[in-house]
Amino acid sequence: MSLSRKFLMLLIYVLSVTFCAQNIKINAQNFTLLTSEKVFEAGSEIVLSFATSTNLKPQLYCSNSYGNTLVTPDLKNKTLTYSIPEFITKKRGIVFWKLITEKEEISGNFEITPLTKTNTLETYLGPPSIEAGGTDFTMLVVIPTDSLDNPLPENTEIIAKHQFLSDEIQEKIITENLLAFKNIFSPKKDGRMIISSSSSTLNSKEFDVNIMPAIATNFEIFVNRNHEYADGNQISTFSTSIIKDKNNNIISDGSFVYFYITNSKNAVLKTSGTTINGVAKAKIIHPDHEDTWQVKAYFLGISESNVITVNYKKAVQDFSIAFSKDNRTLKIGPIKSFMNQRIPDGLQVKLTIYKDKKIIKTIVKDPNNGFVNFSLDKNIYPNDVYDLEISTAGIVKTFKAKKLW
Amino acid sequence: MLGYILVICIIVFLISSLYSYFNTGADRSKILHTELQKETIYTPTISWKKDGNEGRKISEQTLNEIENDYLNAWYVQHIAYKTNTKTGIDDYFTKNARKNIFAFIDENKKEKTTIESTTLQHNLDLLFFSEDGQLAVLEDKNVLEYKQVFKNDQLILETTENSDYKFILLLEDGFWRIRHKIKQSSKPYNFTPIPINVDSLNIKGINYYPQKTPWDMFGNSFEIETITNDFKIIKNSGLNSVRIFVPYEDFGKATVNDNKLNKLKLVLDSAEKEGLKVVLTLFDFYGNYDVLDWTLTYKHATTIVSTFKNHPAILAWDLKNEPNLDFDSRGKETVIAWLENLIILIKSVDENHPITIGWSNIESATILKDKVDFVSFHYYEDLKDFEKSYQSLKNNIPNKPLVLQEFGVSSYSGFWKPFGLSEKQQASFHQEIQKVLTKNKISFMSWTLYDFEEVPKEVVGKLPWRSNPQKSFGFISSEGIKKPAFKHITH
Repeated sequence: MSLSRKFLMLLIYVLSVTFCAQNIKINAQNFTLLTSEKVFEAGSEIVLSFATSTNLKPQLYCSNSYGNTLVTPDLKNKTLTYSIPEFITKKRGIVFWKLITEKEEISGNFEITPLTKTNTLETYLGPPSIEAGGTDFTMLVVIPTDSLDNPLPENTEIIAKHQFLSDEIQEKIITENLLAFKNIFSPKKDGRMIISSSSSTLNSKEFDVNIMPAIATNFEIFVNRNHEYADGNQISTFSTSIIKDKNNNIISDGSFVYFYITNSKNAVLKTSGTTINGVAKAKIIHPDHEDTWQVKAYFLGISESNVITVNYKKAVQDFSIAFSKDNRTLKIGPIKSFMNQRIPDGLQVKLTIYKDKKIIKTIVKDPNNGFVNFSLDKNIYPNDVYDLEISTAGIVKTFKAKKLW
Repeated sequence: MLGYILVICIIVFLISSLYSYFNTGADRSKILHTELQKETIYTPTISWKKDGNEGRKISEQTLNEIENDYLNAWYVQHIAYKTNTKTGIDDYFTKNARKNIFAFIDENKKEKTTIESTTLQHNLDLLFFSEDGQLAVLEDKNVLEYKQVFKNDQLILETTENSDYKFILLLEDGFWRIRHKIKQSSKPYNFTPIPINVDSLNIKGINYYPQKTPWDMFGNSFEIETITNDFKIIKNSGLNSVRIFVPYEDFGKATVNDNKLNKLKLVLDSAEKEGLKVVLTLFDFYGNYDVLDWTLTYKHATTIVSTFKNHPAILAWDLKNEPNLDFDSRGKETVIAWLENLIILIKSVDENHPITIGWSNIESATILKDKVDFVSFHYYEDLKDFEKSYQSLKNNIPNKPLVLQEFGVSSYSGFWKPFGLSEKQQASFHQEIQKVLTKNKISFMSWTLYDFEEVPKEVVGKLPWRSNPQKSFGFISSEGIKKPAFKHITH
């Protein structure tokens, strides 16, 4: 059984060999490829030769990575020679060719390998700025190419180098899928990292990456003011401590800080500032009446400060009001501030006029030199009895049933 | 005086052009290359191997952008080699990469070589995406490239290659541009379809258009009730199948209109309910065949075939109605290559339904006989030669079923054709041919159920002596009365 099977196998083998041999013979009648090399180095001269029995000069179709063309042969001594054009021979990759004959199909391919010497290290680095702290990283991508702009073969060695402060680190990486890459993680400190790559013979240019401070951690705030009186004129300045990230790096200049102020009536005032050297400052005008502020600052969604309480004392203790004879002219003042100085212009003085317990008019005026005058026109406020209310700097004075005439 | 007016006109024109020139500047939307004005021009089959990649995780949107620009790169390359011009290459190849293409173009232009090519299939895999999102490495395996090589405007080579490529792409100015392109392997592509057994094929059918809307079956006047009624008539007459046509442009070309697909589904559902099988002709009213148009047609075919491949009413896919009529105007090689690649494509989508091509005459029927599952041909010549012609075709193609896919005569006899056949003669034609069909056990589909009142000029042209006879091939008159031939609609 097994013997007969062996015989059968042998028979098939002999038959197939003769069949193939015959096939080759048929081919040999017209065109036979003489060039046996299948691998060429880029840039070398490539000539495909065919032995032919005819005088036909068929064109050779060639297709490489980038395109297709036809090559015309030279016929000498029954040998067709096709010189593959330079723009094909210098590019890495497989070249597929086909002899354009009427009858049979003769086709094949050869490979062009890149040169072994690195000529250019095409290097890409990104992102260009990363966060300090060791979680963020930048990626160095190197495409080593030969002098004919072909990417070098797989497993080409590249050295990735980077320097930061006193550290200088070199690491070997190898190309895979036409390029080599390395993720370079950020150090804990902020600053600038210098990155480059090299191969055995060539060095890339220098690249740098900004190591930016990470996000801010919680901080403290302070207030700074000329005096603590609620004069509605001076300015209070809020400032932060030096804000740092978790690795003790001062956060980037220009980081935006919001200061939220809650006053004694639970109204919220807001001011803001950006950091310089880690300190943000924001200003706000003093209130014009006695008040207590709770102040807290935020990097929205990132970090926050402690709460500070700021008290503003009464600046104006009292003021006098003089009515004219007909009660139609009110002279208020002098309004005096904490040292009995006349208050600066700009404080609001409000006169509210009621009739039958309904507001009929509110007049707001600024003092000039500590005095404010209100005149109530006869045509607007006919002779009658009115209630008048004067308020400024948180002090309210009411005059019931004042008769204008 | 006239000269004076002319001079004034010219001056006004020049000043206004100058004015409008200075008033059109760089549009902000153009700076960022964010406009979306895209016509579907290139739709080869794409598949992505989504098995992750080195480097940064890529978003679906970026992947789509890469795919678009990558396909555009192929498209501009095809155009460049077809015309030997450099238009568009700059957009999709980096400065260093485009030199390689320009070298080919310069050489080919000098040697008067042009290449018409297209790719039919891409199997993409993203290998690497850089952290900053500016660089990607792409692998494309089994790219099916079809090329026609012309020398001095003569087609000298047709070749289909199956190649693997690797690419490095860089994001520059909003374009993903090819920086390196490396062919990893390449071999000639040969496809032998796995034949589908169709021994049991027994088609007794008819080519069908509704009476009111011939050649516009899926248009605005589509009424499924009418079609269902007609299917009932067909079934009751003893037939078992219908042939229906998909008009290419009406269906929306590469982006097939869902509305039309729904109408087609209704028709197929109705056929199934009435117990009729459907031979669906995938292309009608298509005649471009330009190599760069192929992917659009293939997308169209893929959409229809994949939508209905599991529909129980489908009997077979008829690729194209009478493609041999386009041989003269579009080149026989191109048309055949288009059909051949269409077979490859449909076989890859649907392995179960047989494929055929509706050749307009018996002489063309041997073309691609080894690639189709059964052979279809139309016969409008002399009845008495039919049996002989059929026998010789049968001798040529002994191992595949033959289907007489269209036949019939017009009962028009009037001003434009005074010696035409009468309705009685039409009936006797069908009686006679049915005898031959029965004797030789030939599957058949006759032309057609109804007489029509209007025949669009795209069908047989505008000439009245052609269009008028075309109206009267039916077994039922346009008034709905069964003509004498109806008795012989089948055996």
